[in-house]
Amino acid sequence: MSALLAMELGKLGRLASVRFSALVLVLFPFLWAYAPGIFDVYGFFLVSGFQVPALALLSSMEFLLPLLIAITCAELIGIEINNGTLPTVLLRPVTRAQWLLAKLLVASVYPFLALAFFLLASLAAGAFFGFGPFVGGTGLGRQGLLGAGTMVPLEAWREVLQAYLIAAYSLVPIGLLAVLFAVILMNAAGGALATLATLIVMQLLVVFPGVTPYLLTTQLGAYVHPASPLGWVVALIALYCAAFAAAAVIVFERKDF
Amino acid sequence: MQPAIETHALTKRYGSRPVVRELTFAVNPGEVFALVGPNGAGKTTVIRLVSGLAFPSSGSVRMLGHDPHETPSVRRRLGAVVEAPAAFYPYLSGRSNLVLHARLAGGVASSRVREVLDQVELGHAADRKVGVYSLGMRQRLGVAAALLTRPEVLILDEPASGMDPLSLHLVHRVLRDAASSGTAVLLSTHHLDEVVAYCSHVGIMEDGVLIDQIPLRDRGARMRALVDDVQSARLTLAAQPWVREVFVRGRDVVFTLEQPAAIDKVAGCLAGAGVALRELGDDSFDLRSYYRERVEAQRARRTSGDGRPRIAPGPPIVAEGTAGVDA
Repeated sequence: MSALLAMELGKLGRLASVRFSALVLVLFPFLWAYAPGIFDVYGFFLVSGFQVPALALLSSMEFLLPLLIAITCAELIGIEINNGTLPTVLLRPVTRAQWLLAKLLVASVYPFLALAFFLLASLAAGAFFGFGPFVGGTGLGRQGLLGAGTMVPLEAWREVLQAYLIAAYSLVPIGLLAVLFAVILMNAAGGALATLATLIVMQLLVVFPGVTPYLLTTQLGAYVHPASPLGWVVALIALYCAAFAAAAVIVFERKDF
Repeated sequence: MQPAIETHALTKRYGSRPVVRELTFAVNPGEVFALVGPNGAGKTTVIRLVSGLAFPSSGSVRMLGHDPHETPSVRRRLGAVVEAPAAFYPYLSGRSNLVLHARLAGGVASSRVREVLDQVELGHAADRKVGVYSLGMRQRLGVAAALLTRPEVLILDEPASGMDPLSLHLVHRVLRDAASSGTAVLLSTHHLDEVVAYCSHVGIMEDGVLIDQIPLRDRGARMRALVDDVQSARLTLAAQPWVREVFVRGRDVVFTLEQPAAIDKVAGCLAGAGVALRELGDDSFDLRSYYRERVEAQRARRTSGDGRPRIAPGPPIVAEGTAGVDA
């Protein structure tokens, strides 16, 4: 299993969507950090390098990051179908469940890798503003970008890292959902589009207040404003992950190739 | 002897449409079974069912005595290429692709990778990316990947597709060698002339039905005699203990000898019965013509009558103990 996992992780860097995502994730913080209309849109001026990661996350968590994660995770399956290598692997003494679990693990790890990269790019983009003590807020704590008083670097680091960790975790079920749809549809584009359609429908379901706290899309804001206690959010996301992964394995076990 | 591959009433439907119907055949260790048939006959589906990539709608598949779905570990003893052309990661070299296969298979020495690359004459191109390989090179790499684990069962879907004559000859030689060392080989192909040279059985498929299974292994002992009275010749030869099987085909009497040396007795035996022998020689079997006849007959039967698939009766070729069909 470890050989299989290492092999699948190694393939990640070969995906076209990963390279495209890397480009977007590098450019995005730089564009936002130095965009002339930031004050008009957000009502504040950047004063610290710690605020750039917040700005990058706030602007991308609703659509851009789920989109990039969904595309890559669907491509994890789709590339094997396009190359014709899926049957080749399944003819080896590797069970279908083992192979798909390796893919699901890669899909689970990918949001953390992507957000770590995004954070590094954001910090690089914020280097101009420096990382010393500043007045305001990181944008990732309770006080937002303003009103946190004097922020010391250690506290700022803690807020930024925690927010990125929670954000990455909340994106994991989206990756697993993309794998599930790619397995059902046997197609990368179809898998990514079906995932996005599902997320859009979930966003529209906010008209049912009773359902809203349980929606996957609601948890995408947990890095800054968790809808429920963090422990509960973590458990709910884990439940989504388990459900999507189990469904993908069940479907894949009975697929004809 | 336990067959290496065995199917019983194997059927596959997609929705209500059957693509493989009630297929029963067996491949023993050391045998080469070639599935031939028109495009869309169901050969690839059979290959995928037998290798465990697709699930039967009904019927069963056994590989080395195991159901490949219930016992995935049996695939340690399988080598297979089910894509034509064989599929590999294009950004990796031929060698790296095989190393990856070796890791998935487990327990394959690195020297074995070099060995199989040399076997299919790809040693010189081993470090080039597969993306720049020609179709024939990919196919040969596919055969190399299949041979990597010294499998007891080899399953290949059109292994010679897109190959030049030299590569074709090479792959057929490799498969023949594998069979002679005890590997059971199941392949699908359109190269009828070549497979006759080394296959032990040919199965003809049409519209999902295995319409004929032709054993070819004993063909060396089969003779053809041109005589003036075919019926008398048939009866005379059928009565001889050194003749295994005899039938009439047109103006010829075709018979199989128990021992090739018995050929010396044929002329005297027929002369004793008052039959004039005009010509005596090996019965060269034209699979291409036979295949065309059988497929066309099956199609005609399918499109006439009640439209249900039926297997058209054809003349037995070398099946032991059959009485044959008089022309």
